[in-house]
Amino acid sequence: MKIKFRVILSISIIAVTTLMFVSCASDPDSSGLEYMPDMYRSPAIEPYVDYGEVRGRENKDLKLKRSAMIPPSGTIPYYGTDSATVALMMPYARKANVAMKSTHGMYDAVLTKENEYDFALADKNPLKLTSDNMGDLFDTGKKLFTANCAHCHGAKGNGNGPMVVSGAYVGVPDYANLTNLSDGQIFYSIYYGKGMMGAHNSLLDKREIWTLVHYIRKFQDTDYGTSQSAKALEAN
Amino acid sequence: MKISSSQMFRDISKWCFGALALLLFTGPFKAQAQGDALFKAKCATCHQVFKDGTGPKLYEVRQKWTDGGAAEGSIFQWVNNWKNAVAIDPYAKTVSNWSETAMSAFPELSKEQITSIFDWVDSQEQATTKNGGDPLSVSAVEQESSLSWAWIIMGVIFVVIILAVGGVRRQLKAASSEMEGKAIDDDMTYTDELKQWAWANRKVVVVGIISIVLGLVVALFLSLYSVGLVENYQPSQPISFPHSVHAGTNAIDCKYCHNSVTKSKSAGLPTVNVCMNCHKQISGETPEQQEQIQKIYDAAGYDPSGAGRYTGDTKEIIWNRVHVLPDHVYFNHSQHVEVGGVDCKQCHGDMEKMMETAKVQTIEDLNKVEGNIQLSKTTLTMGWCIECHKEKEISNGTLDTKKDGYYDEIHKRLMDGDKELYGKYLEDGKVTVMELGGWECAKCHY
Repeated sequence: MKIKFRVILSISIIAVTTLMFVSCASDPDSSGLEYMPDMYRSPAIEPYVDYGEVRGRENKDLKLKRSAMIPPSGTIPYYGTDSATVALMMPYARKANVAMKSTHGMYDAVLTKENEYDFALADKNPLKLTSDNMGDLFDTGKKLFTANCAHCHGAKGNGNGPMVVSGAYVGVPDYANLTNLSDGQIFYSIYYGKGMMGAHNSLLDKREIWTLVHYIRKFQDTDYGTSQSAKALEAN
Repeated sequence: MKISSSQMFRDISKWCFGALALLLFTGPFKAQAQGDALFKAKCATCHQVFKDGTGPKLYEVRQKWTDGGAAEGSIFQWVNNWKNAVAIDPYAKTVSNWSETAMSAFPELSKEQITSIFDWVDSQEQATTKNGGDPLSVSAVEQESSLSWAWIIMGVIFVVIILAVGGVRRQLKAASSEMEGKAIDDDMTYTDELKQWAWANRKVVVVGIISIVLGLVVALFLSLYSVGLVENYQPSQPISFPHSVHAGTNAIDCKYCHNSVTKSKSAGLPTVNVCMNCHKQISGETPEQQEQIQKIYDAAGYDPSGAGRYTGDTKEIIWNRVHVLPDHVYFNHSQHVEVGGVDCKQCHGDMEKMMETAKVQTIEDLNKVEGNIQLSKTTLTMGWCIECHKEKEISNGTLDTKKDGYYDEIHKRLMDGDKELYGKYLEDGKVTVMELGGWECAKCHY
């Protein structure tokens, strides 16, 4: 009986030490065992994967150097062969002011000493509102606005979004006070940012921003786009 | 304490003055309300009361100008058009160097209106606490890790106790056998004792060994089944990002930060300029928050002091990817979110309530989310994917004739072509992803 006790003791000692080693070996950054690791980590480039080590080959220049990136300045995605679309999506001709390098972090952008925000006054919205496309444009505009603007500017565009309500952020203007801005200036402000607002050109393409300009106009004038509205005449 | 009459008079006059001031303050309520409205409409976009932003803070700004040696009244000219003030007042020129962003001109504001704005600003009291976001709590994680340390320490103590008890017992045994006058068998090792005991109880030992081996085999197979399963995988991240504060309290749409989700295969991690769209202003309230947000500033090359300026000294934030699919599986976010209209919650759970960085949610947690299709297979396995493809309803049998996408065409051909098969599909009242070809191997493997 006494010997039995000793054996149980020895077994439990072994068990406890094994458990200890097993618990030490788990690494929170490892997703666990895989059947075929080379099928998970392929040399084909995938986003947000660290390519410092691929199939056992180490590349010190790449290791933990790169994560989320914005597209290089001036590059545009392929938009097909439709010439109207391609013309619309050509890189934005207006440049950011040199001051925006330090106020808005425009490190890579081509800058100018001119105040092109003022020049943008004359820019017209290339997406023409017609009775046919109006519904679609406003629907898309609403989707884009909800995802990209509403948390600060508010679902009604009155500058009272959830971020302002929670007290986290202050100083969002009411669109009703911004009727003096032209379409081109609204576009410029979204594209390069203005005041506290940052540039949104890495989030939205030109077509999306022009769609948003139409949608923002709708906040300022409920008749916008209908034949009664003076703005609609101006836009068309 | 003796109070002299002159001091008493001074005290009384102070009181009277205070009362007068109170009267003066409560009196022009109208002017105050006007100042409030004007500040919000004209100034608040760039100026805050107590904090520098795009423009400097406005609290007691008139005092600041007077102390700085500004010419009388030049501050009003500044508001109307700052260029006029710079032309006549050297102090205004120094103010214009505060930031590279030029102030807008407000020629429409009268002197009284500007005064009402400054009066309103100076009457504000600095709030001690803001109800911004929930405080960051990392204590839960800390508790968990300290708990596992407690287990290890307890284990070590346990082993030491066992060894000590074993030693004492052996000595006691030696002592008792000595007392009984038996010869002390020093050569009897543990192994010999074990052999002796095992032979005496051989039936028990055989049964024991067989059951241990069987148990190990079962455990081996169970652990093999869990190879490649990543539920609950939550790698460490460079910034402890609270999803609940961003997507919950502040109701930022998932698609704002993960903005390529509607256009591309990958949902996208926010680049640091997206963080800066809000964090240029929000630098955090608690030291924990400030420490985390400072990492964003370091990455963006931003110096938040004063007017705040980008220095160009940037750094990378290296995020750890959480959801990794094998190379032989093709998954496209835009296909699911934009074309399929699947809510982010279906696969990523209630991030609005998660005080943490991302993790691979368990299927139990996903099933608790309201509006989710109830599934049974482990998250991020093929079983999970195809189970959802089998359950997800595309239509109740009707077809939206306005739409003319790829899948609408497939649906139309199925409807018009094999009526019998379509009737069979409709037995459960819905047409699913699978029935429109969502189970074809080449949809995901090619």
